Amino acid sequence: MPKSPTNSPSTTATAPSPPAEVLRQHAEQEYAAELSALRAADDRPRPPGWLLSPWSVKTYLLGGVLADGTEILPKYVGDPRLIEIAVATLATDRALLLYGVPGTAKSWVSEHLAAAISGTSTLLIQGTAGTDESAIRYGWNYARLIAEGPSRDAIVPSPMMVGMETGRIVRLEELTRIGSEVQDTLITILSEKTLPVPELNHEVQAAKGFNVIATANNRDRGVNEMSSALMRRFNTVILPVPDNLEDEVAIVSRRAAQLGRALELPAEPPALDEIRRVVTIFRELRSGITEDGRTKIKSPTGSLSTAEAISVVSNGMALSAYFGDGRLHAGDLVSGLVGAVIKDPVQDAIVWKEYVRTVIKERDDWKDWYRASRDQG
Amino acid sequence: MTIHVLGIRHHGPGCARALRAALDRLAPSLVLLEGPPDAAEALSLVADPALVPPVALLIHPVDEPKRSVFFPFASFSPEWQAMRWASERGVPLRFFDLPMSHRLALDRREEAETVTAEADADPGEVAIADDLSSEEPPSPSPSGPLRSERSEERSRVRTDPIGILAEADGYRDHERWWEERIELRRDTTDLFAAVLEAMRAVRAEFPDDHRRDRLREAWMRQTIRAAIAEGFESIAVVCGAWHAPVVDAAAVEGKGTGTGRKEDKQLLSGLPKLKVAVTWIPWTYDRLTFRSGYGAGIRSPGWYEHLFQARDSAAIRWISTAARLLRDRDLDASSAGVIEATRLADALAAIRDLRAPGLEELDEAILSALCRGNPAPLKLIRERLSVGDRIGEVPEGVASVPLAADIAAKQRSLRLKPTGGSVSLDLDLRNETDRNRSRLLHRLNLLDIPWGQPLASGSGRSTFHELWTLNWQPEFSVRIVEASHWGSDVESAANARAAAALSETTAISQATELLDRIVVAGLDAAVEAALERIRNLAAVGADVLHLMLALPPLARVARYGDVRGTNAAQVEPIVDSLFGRIVVGLASACAALDETASARMSSGIEQVGAALETLDRGDLQSEWNDALASLLERAIDPGLAGRCCRILFERRRLDADELHRRARLALGRATPPADAAAWVTGLLRGSGLLLLHQDVLWEVFDRWLCELDDETFVQVLPGLRRAFADFSPPERRRMGEKTSRLGNSDTNLRRLSEMVTSSTIAVDTDRAARILPTLAMLLGVDQGVVDAMSSKAGER
Repeated sequence: MPKSPTNSPSTTATAPSPPAEVLRQHAEQEYAAELSALRAADDRPRPPGWLLSPWSVKTYLLGGVLADGTEILPKYVGDPRLIEIAVATLATDRALLLYGVPGTAKSWVSEHLAAAISGTSTLLIQGTAGTDESAIRYGWNYARLIAEGPSRDAIVPSPMMVGMETGRIVRLEELTRIGSEVQDTLITILSEKTLPVPELNHEVQAAKGFNVIATANNRDRGVNEMSSALMRRFNTVILPVPDNLEDEVAIVSRRAAQLGRALELPAEPPALDEIRRVVTIFRELRSGITEDGRTKIKSPTGSLSTAEAISVVSNGMALSAYFGDGRLHAGDLVSGLVGAVIKDPVQDAIVWKEYVRTVIKERDDWKDWYRASRDQG
Repeated sequence: MTIHVLGIRHHGPGCARALRAALDRLAPSLVLLEGPPDAAEALSLVADPALVPPVALLIHPVDEPKRSVFFPFASFSPEWQAMRWASERGVPLRFFDLPMSHRLALDRREEAETVTAEADADPGEVAIADDLSSEEPPSPSPSGPLRSERSEERSRVRTDPIGILAEADGYRDHERWWEERIELRRDTTDLFAAVLEAMRAVRAEFPDDHRRDRLREAWMRQTIRAAIAEGFESIAVVCGAWHAPVVDAAAVEGKGTGTGRKEDKQLLSGLPKLKVAVTWIPWTYDRLTFRSGYGAGIRSPGWYEHLFQARDSAAIRWISTAARLLRDRDLDASSAGVIEATRLADALAAIRDLRAPGLEELDEAILSALCRGNPAPLKLIRERLSVGDRIGEVPEGVASVPLAADIAAKQRSLRLKPTGGSVSLDLDLRNETDRNRSRLLHRLNLLDIPWGQPLASGSGRSTFHELWTLNWQPEFSVRIVEASHWGSDVESAANARAAAALSETTAISQATELLDRIVVAGLDAAVEAALERIRNLAAVGADVLHLMLALPPLARVARYGDVRGTNAAQVEPIVDSLFGRIVVGLASACAALDETASARMSSGIEQVGAALETLDRGDLQSEWNDALASLLERAIDPGLAGRCCRILFERRRLDADELHRRARLALGRATPPADAAAWVTGLLRGSGLLLLHQDVLWEVFDRWLCELDDETFVQVLPGLRRAFADFSPPERRRMGEKTSRLGNSDTNLRRLSEMVTSSTIAVDTDRAARILPTLAMLLGVDQGVVDAMSSKAGER
C-alpha cells in the first residue's frame, strides 16, 4: 500500500512523549503507564489490529487492579454494561455511535476507547456544518497536482484514510452536525470498508483494526438527522446522565481534581461537601424536581450536564486559588454556577431566582449558598 | 430397590429437558413429584389435551376459599414435564409433599396464635394484608413461602440458596448463574448428581431449622418409605433442589441427622387437618413473573419457553422473532440488522465470559443494533416476547377460581345474566336489589372486569338512578383469574385491589377519584384507606389546582353517600381541610398563568363552585365568594378575572354598577386588546344572557369593539369567536336582534319591521301567481287551494 511520508501522522503504536508544556495531553499520553501495564499483563486473545484484548479495554475504561498491582483508574463511571456493549461492538467490526445529550462523556469515552484499542486517539474528524467530503475522504495538494498530475503523492489523506490504511480507530466527533449529504459518504466506508479514489482508478481497502467511533447529540440546535441507511451501519449506545447523586459527585470530584492538577492550581482539593451541593443543584434543575421528590421546580434551557458541573467546580477552584483564600467557598462556586445555569438571559434568570428562593433558602445548612447567590443574582 | 433423586428448579427449561432425558434413561417404575398429594385426582387430567399450560393447581379449604394456594405450571416447568412423561408412559406418579390439608390447617392455627399475640394491631390493616397474601407462592420451591422468620442470614439462605452458590462462584446475579450453569447446558449427564452435591454442601453449612420444612421433608421421606414397602423397584424422586439432600437413599434409611424413621413419625403425629378443594385453573405468563407478586416467579417466561423449545441457535431464533415482531408493528428491522444484533450478542457474551448470550445480552444487542438505541420498541419485545402473552386453558367443566364462582353466584342471585352484545340497564338505587347490582358492577370495574359501562346519570339528574350498558366479553374469564389473586370473593378482591391502587396514587385528585369509585362500589373497608390516603396527600400536596379537582368527588360522597348507605360523616372534615387549603393558596396559584394554565384554573374554580353547591353549605360558599372577590383586587390573569366577575355577579356579590365599572376598566383604552379579549372571553363563556340583559355592559363592549383598529380586531377575533361559540341558538338570535337595534336603533328597527310586515311593499301579483302552480306541484298541494290563495292575494 503506497504511503505518503509527508502526510502520515506522527503517531505510532507507542505513545510518544509529549512536549512538557502542552495544555492537555491525549489520553494515550496521560495514561501511557496504565496502557503499557495492561499490555504487559494482557494474556487473552486480541482481535486483529488491536493493541489490547477486549477484556483489557474494558478494564482500562472501567478501572481495576492488575495482577502486578498496577491500579487502573476508572475513566467512565456509570453502567459497566454500556462499556461492554461499546467494546463488543468494536470487536465485531461494527461502527459505534455514542449518542446522548451534551456533556455525558461521549467524546471522553470515544477518546479512551481509541487510545486503548489503537494506541492513538488523534485520528479525529471534527464534524461541523462546514465539514465537506474531502475532510472525510481525501483532498489534493494542488501544487503537486498541477506540477505532477494526479498521483498518490498529490493526495492529502483524511484521518479516515489514514485510519483505514493503518488499521486504527477513527473518531468522528459531532456526526450529526455534518450535512446529511456528506454524512452519507460514510456508508460505503462502513459497509464495504473501502475508500475508492476514482481519479487514480485506485481504492484504499481498510486494514484489520480499522473502525469508526462517532459521537452525536440528540438535543441541540443545528443538528442534521441521520439517514436510516447510515444509522443502520452503526450500533448505537446511548450514554445517560448519571442516575444517582453519588456517582455524579464521584465523577465531578475526580475530574475537578485532575483538572486542578493539570492547570497547576494552588487551591486545596475541593471539599466533597461543596461538590455535592453543586451536583445536587445541577441534578435538581435538570430533572425539575428536588432530590427529596417533594418540590417541583422549573428547568432552565441548558442541558446542565455533568461536564458543566465539573467546569463549575474547577472554575471555583481557580477563583479561590487566585482571588480567595485558597479554600473553596460558596461564593467562588456560585458565580460559575450562575453562568452555567443561565443560558437564556430572561427565562433562565427567572428559573434561577425561583430556585434560590424556594429551594436554597429553605435548606438550613445552605445559608452561605443563599447569601452568596442573593449577592450575585 | 433404587432411589434416584432429581433436584430441580421450578420453571427451569434446562432442568425440564434434562429431567425428561433422565427419566427416559432411568425408566423408573414410580415417579414421586414434589407437590400436594391432595391433588392426586386432578393428576388424571394431565393426559387431557384440553389442559394446555400455563395452568395452575388451585387448592383452598372448602369452608374458606379466600385462603387459596396456587401451584402454577408452564410447559417448560420440570414438574409439568414429569407429569406428562408419566402419563405418556403409563408410569404411576404421586405427589409426595406434605398435603395442603395439613399445611393450610397449620397456617390457620399459626395465624390464630399471631392474632392473639398482636391483639392491639390495627384490625383493618391485618384484614387487608391478609387479603393480599392469599396468593401464597407455590411452596415447593427453593424460594417458598416463609412465615415467622427470625434469623436474617438463615432466611436468606432458605429463600435464596442458589444465591449462595452463585456468590461462591463469583456471580452477583443468581438467575444468571443458574441460567449459565444449568439451563443453558447442553450436556446434562450427571447434572442432577451435581445439583444434589451442591445443595448438600449448602445445607451442611446452613442447616434448615424451619419447622414447616422439617415437617415437609419428614413427610417426603415417609412417603418414599411407604413406596418402597409397596415394592416399587426403581423410584425417581423429583423435588426442589433444596430438599434433594434429605430425601436421598441415605436419608430414607435414616442415616442423616434427624432423618430417622422414628423421628419422622413423631414429628408428623398429631397434625391438624381440614378439608380442601382442588382444581385446575388457566394461568398466564404474566402471572408467572416476579412482578405479579409470585414468590417463585421468573423474569421472562416467554424466554424460558423459547429456550425449552428451540433446541439449537436459540439466540438467532430469538432475535429473528423479535425482528418479525418489530416489522409487524411497521418498525424497521432488516435482516442485516438481525445479523449484526446476533454478532453483537455473541461478542457481548464473550466479553462477559458466558458460553452463550443470555436474555440480557440479546436485549442489549437488539437495542443497540436493531432499535438504534431507542428503548420504546424494546419495551414491546419485553411485553410480547420475553414475558409473553400466553394464556392457559382447562377442560370445559373443570371448576375455576373461587372468585369466578362467587361472581357467578352473585349474577344468579341478582338476576344479571352475562350475555354478549350491549344491553342497557336502568337501576333505581332506592331499591335493595338494584343497589346490590350497582355495587357488583362497580366492584367488577374496580377489578378491571368492565362488564358494565356507567352512562352519565340519566334525565332529570336524579341521584337515585343509574344507567348502565352491559356487555360480557369472553376474555373476562381470564381477567377473573387474573383478578383472583386479589381475593376469593368480589368484595374482598375489590377491597384489596382498591387498597393497592390507592397506595400507587401520587396526586390527590387521583385518590379522590378513586374514592368516588370505591364509595359507589360500597367498599367500606377501602373507604377508610382512601380517606387516610387523601388526608396524607393533602398534607404534602402543594398544587392548589389538584386540590381543587379533588373537591368535587369528595363533595359528591359527602352529599349522596347516604343514598347508597355509606357513612359520609367522615368525609366532611376532609372537605373542610381541603377547602381551607384551597382558599389559602388560591391567590398565588392564580398569578402568572399562561393561557392553558389559566383555562385549567378557571375550570378548577368552577368545579369548586359546583362542589360547594352540591354540599349546600352556606358558610363555605360565602367564604369562597370572599376569596374570589379578593382575587379581583389582585393582578391576576385577565381571563380568570373575567370569570370571577361572572361568578360573583351571578352569586350577587357584585352588583350591576360594580360589574359595569370593572367592564369599563377591563375594556378601557389602556388595556392591551389581547387582555381585554381574554377578559371578555372569561366573562361570557358558557352563556350570553349576561350580555343580553345588561345594557350598560353591552354598550361598553360595543364601544370597545368599535374602537379596535382592523389589525387588532383580526387578532382578537378568534378568541371572541370561541367565547361566543357555545352560546345557544336562541341567545345568538336575540343578540342579532339586539345588534340591529344598536345605536340609531329606531330607524333600523322601523326598516326591519317594514320588511317583515310587507304590507307597504308593492307586490306584482300577476308575476307572483305564475310561480304558484309549480310551487303547488313541489309541495304536493291541491291546485284548488292554490287558486283560492292566489285569488285572496289578488284581492289584497
